[in-house]
Amino acid sequence: MKKRWILVALSLLTVVGMLLSACGPKTTPTTEKPATTEAPATTAPATEAPTEAPTEAPTEAPTAEPVTITVWHGWDGAYLKAYEEVVKEFNDSHDNIKIELSKVDNLSDALSVAIPSGEGPDIMAWVQDQIGRNALVGNIVPIDQWVSQDYLKQNFEPAAVQAMIWNGKVWGIPESQEGIALVYNKALISEDDLPNPDDFNDLLQKATQFRKDHPDKYYLCDQGLGNPDAYHVAPIYFGNGMSKYKGYIDDQGNAYMNSPEGYAAAEWIKKFSAVAPAETSHEICQAMLTDGEAAIWWTGPWAIADIEAAGIDYGIAPMGSPFVGIKLFMMTPNAVDRGHADAAIEVMKYFGSADVQKKLALTNKTVPANTKALHDPEVQALYTVAKFGESLNRGTPMPNHPYIDCQWGPVGDATTAIWNGSQTPKEAMDDAQAAIEKCIADMK
Amino acid sequence: MSTSYKGWKKAAIVLLFILPTLVSVTLISLYPIFYNVYISLTNRSRFHYAPPDNIWNCTTDVMGKYCFQSPLLANYADLFGPLVTPESLVSWFKLLLLLVPIVAVYYLERRARRKSLSKPETWWWWLLGLLGSGLIWVVLDVNAAIEQLMNTGDFFIVMFRTFLYVLACMPFFVFFGGLLALILNNKYIKAKGAWRTILILPWAVPNYITAEIWKFFFQEQGTINQLLGLVGLTGPAWLQSDLTAFIAVVIINIWLSYPFFMTIILGALQAIPQDQYEAADVDGATWWQTLTRITIPLLRPAVMPAIVLSSITTFQMFNTVWLVTNGGPIRGAGKPGATEFVMIHAYKMFRTDNYSASGAYAVVVFLLLFAATMISLQMTNITKGATE
Repeated sequence: MKKRWILVALSLLTVVGMLLSACGPKTTPTTEKPATTEAPATTAPATEAPTEAPTEAPTEAPTAEPVTITVWHGWDGAYLKAYEEVVKEFNDSHDNIKIELSKVDNLSDALSVAIPSGEGPDIMAWVQDQIGRNALVGNIVPIDQWVSQDYLKQNFEPAAVQAMIWNGKVWGIPESQEGIALVYNKALISEDDLPNPDDFNDLLQKATQFRKDHPDKYYLCDQGLGNPDAYHVAPIYFGNGMSKYKGYIDDQGNAYMNSPEGYAAAEWIKKFSAVAPAETSHEICQAMLTDGEAAIWWTGPWAIADIEAAGIDYGIAPMGSPFVGIKLFMMTPNAVDRGHADAAIEVMKYFGSADVQKKLALTNKTVPANTKALHDPEVQALYTVAKFGESLNRGTPMPNHPYIDCQWGPVGDATTAIWNGSQTPKEAMDDAQAAIEKCIADMK
Repeated sequence: MSTSYKGWKKAAIVLLFILPTLVSVTLISLYPIFYNVYISLTNRSRFHYAPPDNIWNCTTDVMGKYCFQSPLLANYADLFGPLVTPESLVSWFKLLLLLVPIVAVYYLERRARRKSLSKPETWWWWLLGLLGSGLIWVVLDVNAAIEQLMNTGDFFIVMFRTFLYVLACMPFFVFFGGLLALILNNKYIKAKGAWRTILILPWAVPNYITAEIWKFFFQEQGTINQLLGLVGLTGPAWLQSDLTAFIAVVIINIWLSYPFFMTIILGALQAIPQDQYEAADVDGATWWQTLTRITIPLLRPAVMPAIVLSSITTFQMFNTVWLVTNGGPIRGAGKPGATEFVMIHAYKMFRTDNYSASGAYAVVVFLLLFAATMISLQMTNITKGATE
């Protein structure tokens, strides 16, 4: 009798213990968030001090443990290696600060969980179109306190400086500029076969003629044509005149898909669909270019390493007006909470320095945002930097206001619907306009 | 042994023993369901994601905070409101009328069976029922009714396409599964074990791998078009036009599902007593008569539950179709793609971080699936043993 009770009690204890151990270490996310970006929480809530890291690292004490600054990024492969080398140099020469790189696949999702619970990174490497929304939802903090607009102007290219400033505040330190251009296979076409960069009819004509001469090949593969991707079709829309609106959406939240220029670009896309592959993606276009099935791939500096590895003799030429993206480093409120702000700024400035940017440019063939690095003769001698730079000079700076979050889906879907014939150019543009307007209304 | 477990003591011990299950079911199943219902009443999205100070009254100019919608059911009204306007209700009624002849035949047949000992010939009743439905379709102009419902928004379009998908898949599942089972059950077939293993392979291979392989088959530069190229033909981009993409995902689903039906039907075939066939043989029945009078009627109890279960999983199909078409071909901004079935649509809504609207959508889909499951369980008595 008694024994049985003990058994019951024991089994119960075990079960309760298991349940508790399952629920126990779950950290309760901080429910309080800064409502607006004006007031980032600067004091760490005492009750919920994160357990792992030395939260109150006494940075002044020389004998203290070094501060570890975590950087979340989306770099890959050979491209990442250049950063790892730069980081190693930093870590070797600094005793009090260590940089830790961490690749995160879906930054947006990861941040929305990590930042409120205090487990986010100190620094994020991203592109300037992310500034507006992340500032609004409190994922990043302004850094005016440490980095003035004058400092930016003295050290960086004007477009890059402009990209760092939103709502009158500085939100990051720029790293490189990127945009897309026509990358062509010299085995298939020569410089004479390239279109006039201002004339889309010329591009259409050349593509038609090429297809006539080579029925089993295509003139151009663009992963935004045949695959929803608003970024890779941007040079077409902006090159057809939408650049005067400073983007698909302006900083007041007005969309311009149903503008005369938008319709013109859509009509051109419809015509062009007859002479280009129906189905595309980064991988398909890359395979087409390297297999000699397509003469041109409309792509950016990130694709060059793979093209060189495939042994293709390539050339680069500008066309239309691509989005100019500025890669940058931003600081999270978590860094401030942990008392890492000063160290994080030092790391960000290190990445922005002329030396580091030159190194990255030479290995990764990126276009530096740092003026000194950009004008360095060694960097200028790089063919890709010069040619992509030419394309960037014709580009439309990617806006950094939060409304552009609404452009990617609708513009990509509308273009694809024109491409596969589901909608007429006008229908597609009108639907895209409506979808963007609905998205912006939900936002406000 | 002791007999002191009575009254509250017994109740307490029973409760203690089921407590772990109770707690885990509450935490893992019930809590998320209720939380989802709660979210579906708010305006939560990526722009309104932080808990407000007062859930009933958040000033909307503060970005980042969410609160209850006003009116409370606004998300539901946005998604489903157009489906219950008077005009839409008339269309629904017309659709329902289509079912009347079929249901009538079903009940008439049941009554006739109960009354007579010998099984009456009823196939022509079904034909009449179908003809009746066809007549109603033409007379009431159901095409126009469907068109009207299609214009009410994404929900009906997505539901309609998903039903079409289930309807397109099921007959092929049963046909190919049954055909292969009949062949394997044939006594003249040698090395049955080997054949069975080979035929069941599509089911054993992880289906994302199957999906990726099929995707490559159907791509513009894929295997099918390369084969066509060998004979001088140029194939289209199969996955870029509505009809061919739909057919492609049906074919892929057949490939993935026929082994399940084959196994079930084969098991049922082997459970049919041999003496029935011998008796039929003695009576001089033809092969066709044996098939339609003995084999198929005796397979019904095994196949019906398989069809019901498979319909429900096909209705919820996500991974295979998503991997192959992404819900496409895209039909325009803000419009569901041609193979954007219910679960893909829900996922896409969620992917745009529109938590509240996708929550409302999930609640309604949950209710529909719950009702459909209950009704079909009743009809086929699958869980009879468990509930008795």
